[in-house]
Amino acid sequence: MFSSSVTRRRVAFAFVLPAFVLLLAISIYPLLRTLGLAFSSLELTVSPAESFVGFDNFAKAFQDVRFWNAMGNTLVLVIVGVAIQLVLGVGLALLLSEIGFTRVVWLTALLLPVMIAPVVSGFQFRVIYNDTFGPLNYLIKTISGGFVTGPPWLADTRTALLTIMMTDVWQWTPFMMLLALAGLESIPVELTEAAEVDGAGYWGAFWRIKIPILLPVIVIGLLIRVMDTFKTFDLVFLLTGGGPGSSTETIAFYTYLNGFRFFSMGYTAAIAFIQLIVIIVIARIFLVVQKRMRGGEIQ
Amino acid sequence: MRKKKPLYLRIIMGVILMVALIFFLFPVMWMFLTSFKTQDQIFSTPPILIPPAEQWNLDNYVAVMRDNKGLQGVRDTTIVAFSTALISVSIGALAAYSLARFRFGGDEFSFWIISTRMFPPVASAIPLFLIFRQLEILDTHWVLIIANSVFNVPFAVWLLKGFIEDLPVELEEAALIEGASIFGAFWRITLPLITPGLVTAFLFTFVFTWNEFMFALLMTRRAVRPMTVVISSLAGGHTILWAQIAAAGVITIIPGVLVVIFLQRYIVRGLTMGALKN
Repeated sequence: MFSSSVTRRRVAFAFVLPAFVLLLAISIYPLLRTLGLAFSSLELTVSPAESFVGFDNFAKAFQDVRFWNAMGNTLVLVIVGVAIQLVLGVGLALLLSEIGFTRVVWLTALLLPVMIAPVVSGFQFRVIYNDTFGPLNYLIKTISGGFVTGPPWLADTRTALLTIMMTDVWQWTPFMMLLALAGLESIPVELTEAAEVDGAGYWGAFWRIKIPILLPVIVIGLLIRVMDTFKTFDLVFLLTGGGPGSSTETIAFYTYLNGFRFFSMGYTAAIAFIQLIVIIVIARIFLVVQKRMRGGEIQ
Repeated sequence: MRKKKPLYLRIIMGVILMVALIFFLFPVMWMFLTSFKTQDQIFSTPPILIPPAEQWNLDNYVAVMRDNKGLQGVRDTTIVAFSTALISVSIGALAAYSLARFRFGGDEFSFWIISTRMFPPVASAIPLFLIFRQLEILDTHWVLIIANSVFNVPFAVWLLKGFIEDLPVELEEAALIEGASIFGAFWRITLPLITPGLVTAFLFTFVFTWNEFMFALLMTRRAVRPMTVVISSLAGGHTILWAQIAAAGVITIIPGVLVVIFLQRYIVRGLTMGALKN
């Protein structure tokens, strides 16, 4: 297409340059600084001196029961929670794509949860989930005629993590929904109509046309949700503070505790790095899938 | 002509939408109703769902906006969120095009871009704070625009990359054969076709930044006070001002709603039809 491959490379580079400069300038230093700290001992409550300790921090993490508990809780949120968001989000997007002129109302209403800052919704949910004066258990009791008593959502070790997950689903399903809807809207109508006319029917067109075209966008949406859920912090911070016990401690919250409560900066850096490695492995898997589905390249 | 769907399907759709609406809107309604309550009505048994009629006034809103720096909060957050979204989507669209169409730097480079979003913010906050202090831009709009862009550019790049990869490359190739420059093909063919993606990316980078709390708290003091920081200060004293927090919450969703209403017509079928027909 171009006179030389040099031109092609220059253009490609020029396009990517602004993003490259910004990310390089801002992300490399934190990364290197954290890497350095991960192999050091720096206990700010004891002294500001930093000393090299090799792999001690990593060894500590592998024996730390609380670390593994936090990792487990996080994986529950990531695997179960995000799966629910995916199914609900794509389902709602499909419904919305069938709606005509009233869609703006539905869309705006369903997007509201994602627009409320977690700082605000956190305070609302603290009241909503409250066992004695919260509206949720009150409504459950009233609607069931007094037969069903709601659980103490955030105060019971058996339900607290589920409640966090439910709140995350509430907040982020609209995100998956809008992504899927935007993806659906870039499918040319002719494609699905042609399939339906050819006798594929609604579900045939759905599985053979819509889902394959939607997949690249969905995979990226999923990847972003998985990454962000892996970092779940503010919901835990605002709703439970990790409790009761350690039942809702996520890995990001545990990192925060080590850094900003216990001031063990070396250990904090080490577990931050373990998180980075885990999420990189997960992201790699996604990208292997995503690679198989992409479009053409300009030669 | 689109075929009408069978009646049973339409009924099921309606029911599902209603259930979804209740699930997603109940907490929002609760917040709205709370914003008209008095402090002692927050914790009463049985809970007061709808505050008495004489309380439907703007007292809590006025208190937040006038007495508790809400006006400044909305101003600062608007500047930061709008700039971040604009920068992230512009830079992101360019980079996404290069990654999708030229495979610039191969998969490893794409991966590096997204990996900058994977780093736990709790861990990167301290080094970033030190850099920004060195640059003497703490407590300015810029510091938040830059910090938020770091997390939103990778998002925009990857989202838009997905949308561009969805497009058949033949359209751009046709334009190039007819003598368009690469930028011309990008500007006139690709961008219009990925409008739903651009709008989605803008909306989310806007909302992510609008709702961001940790950087806002760490990197601003007095000159700049984003809304999330103002809101957290309502819970910082001896008592948590529940109703004012709710009122502030209602105020903060207004810009997002406006963005959706103004931009949603771009997330519609039809824009892409014309191009693909030819």
